[in-house]
Amino acid sequence: MIGNFLDQFWSLTFGGLSLGFIYILIALGYTMVYGVLRMINFANSEIFMVGTFATIIVIRDLFKFTQASEPATGLRLWLVLATALIFSMLVSGALSMLVEIVAYRRLRRMNSGVLAPLISAIGVSMVLAESVRILTDSRPVASPRAMEKKFIGQFFDAGIRIDNTIIVTSALILFAVLITFVNRTRMGKAIRAVSMNPNAARLMGINIDGVVSATFLVGGLMTGAAGFFYTLKYENTASNIGFELGIAAFTAAILGGIGNIKGAFYGGLALGLLETYASFFLGTQWKAVTVFVVLVLVLYTRPNGLFGEALTQTRA
Amino acid sequence: MNERQQMKRQRLISVAAVIALAAGSAVAIAPASNAAPKTITLAFQGPLTGEEASVGQDELAGMKYAIKLFNAKNKGKYNIKVVEADDQGDPAQSAKVAPGIASNKKIIGLVGAAYSGATIAALPYYKQTLLPMISPSATRVSITDPAAQGGAMGVPVFHRIPPTDKVQGPSLFKLATNGVPSPKVFVVDDQSAYGVGLVDYMKPSIPAGQSAGFDSVSDKTTDWSATISKIKTAGANVVIYTGYFPQAAPFFKQLRDSGYKGILAGGDGVLSPTFVTLAPASVLEGVRLTAGTVPLAEISAKLEADFKKKMGKSSGVYAAEAIDATNVFLSCVTKGASTREAMLKCVKAYKGKSLTGATIKFDAFGDVAGGGMNGFEVKGGVITFTGPVK
Repeated sequence: MIGNFLDQFWSLTFGGLSLGFIYILIALGYTMVYGVLRMINFANSEIFMVGTFATIIVIRDLFKFTQASEPATGLRLWLVLATALIFSMLVSGALSMLVEIVAYRRLRRMNSGVLAPLISAIGVSMVLAESVRILTDSRPVASPRAMEKKFIGQFFDAGIRIDNTIIVTSALILFAVLITFVNRTRMGKAIRAVSMNPNAARLMGINIDGVVSATFLVGGLMTGAAGFFYTLKYENTASNIGFELGIAAFTAAILGGIGNIKGAFYGGLALGLLETYASFFLGTQWKAVTVFVVLVLVLYTRPNGLFGEALTQTRA
Repeated sequence: MNERQQMKRQRLISVAAVIALAAGSAVAIAPASNAAPKTITLAFQGPLTGEEASVGQDELAGMKYAIKLFNAKNKGKYNIKVVEADDQGDPAQSAKVAPGIASNKKIIGLVGAAYSGATIAALPYYKQTLLPMISPSATRVSITDPAAQGGAMGVPVFHRIPPTDKVQGPSLFKLATNGVPSPKVFVVDDQSAYGVGLVDYMKPSIPAGQSAGFDSVSDKTTDWSATISKIKTAGANVVIYTGYFPQAAPFFKQLRDSGYKGILAGGDGVLSPTFVTLAPASVLEGVRLTAGTVPLAEISAKLEADFKKKMGKSSGVYAAEAIDATNVFLSCVTKGASTREAMLKCVKAYKGKSLTGATIKFDAFGDVAGGGMNGFEVKGGVITFTGPVK
């Protein structure tokens, strides 16, 4: 088994990494909102699901790819990919802002406590999932192949596939942009201020509603990008896809320390790799069990997650 | 085809249940206004709405087609009514519609249920009221297996046209390895009763040295890389998936994309027109599938053309079985059966020919003895019939 594992190590690692980066982007959606509002935005999983459909709409309906058509190449390929990425990010970002305005804003203004927004979040999540389920007739929906999945290199025994490479590189860039935004811009500073002390921030003249909207927008943009990468990698989605991925990304956020951007990064990576290795060693049926055993062990020793104690410094 | 349990659709289902029951009682109340033709009421049970709706709708069309032919032959002598019960292929839903069908004494025969899980959930009601059933597609072995827990639970009311997964398991292995010089077979199931069962029935037929391994993967899986790594490590050249098409398509796609060049195969759970829409045609080219059913067009092109003309749509999967099942009841109607007791007795004693010319005669447990499986292959994005698996 160990020998087999070493043979497959790099190909498992690459698969785990690209899955991990998808988790990271979704986890950012949870963690940004939690950092600012101390609230779990359960609707984030559905915002991801809508993002996957947005990608399919671009590839299938805008660029008219079918299961029988030739994959795009050259400039057209990059045009298709860029359009799909931007469209998914915008759709998810806008939806995320809308969800905040419709489902959370009034509750927050009325100081409704923590439970009402929680139920509201679950409600929004169900409304979105069920609406898409009815629209798609409960069927899984496939994305036609826009990009040929060719191997572009070799690393030891493992082939490096183009889609995984695109996912890892673009997600890294997005992550770097996000860090810069939070740490270097005025709005980023305002987000951090509200996160640390909303009352003090309000007294300093910061528009809380604006900051919250911006946070949901940024979280939604990241989650939408995850929807695009997911569709690029797996080429399939369904109305119930959000639940599974949402739970995984939420776990990643907790594992890394929720409310912490770096935590989402390492948590997502750790989870992606852990799931892939565990499935190989113990069988896919033990994947979820392994993940949660590890999560519990981590929380035993570090109750705030891997990066929990840095909460007040780097919290988004 | 077996059951699919979709928890999320419960709410819509209840609405459908009410409609189905209302339809049922409407038929029950309607008097036989015309004294001359003899009114006979049959029922159909299967998924008519929801994710699996196409399966039920195709079978129902088969049943109605058989009745059309019957009416044309027996001009004005009979008035055959069909009560439609929508179970969405879901056991929970089946348990809701079954009492209404069972207590509607006008119904003397039921074509269905389409799915095994739904059949099992409905059986207590139909057994209590001795409603004869003939299923075109419920293939789970335990329903008619005296060795199963609780004995053959379908006796005495349950009968079925297609062969069971006990036949499908070995046939699927045979078809998948057909023409492969030194097969190394890796089998993946979806952890469902259907998928695990199919593997269990397949195992005894795998010759020594031809197994490359097994994996059991939840139907919620989206990333198959761990399973794919196992397949590559094992050096398999034949991969069989025993589950349903929504998972089979992404699995096969990821496997092909990883560079796997060997054979891909699956059972009747994968045999769905939707399957080929879920992955690029080039990826699914050559996928081998088994099922107990035969497409009408393969029996004769004339039959398919006539079906299309009369029903306004092409025949679907299990159309032939639905027609066969209906014909058994109709033949009993001409022999004078007009009560459930008479119908059950007649079905038990029935001996006749199927559309393909095979003999239909039910054994003591409700199975047709000697049924075989058929092979299919995906060619150019279309599932095509390749003949019986021998």
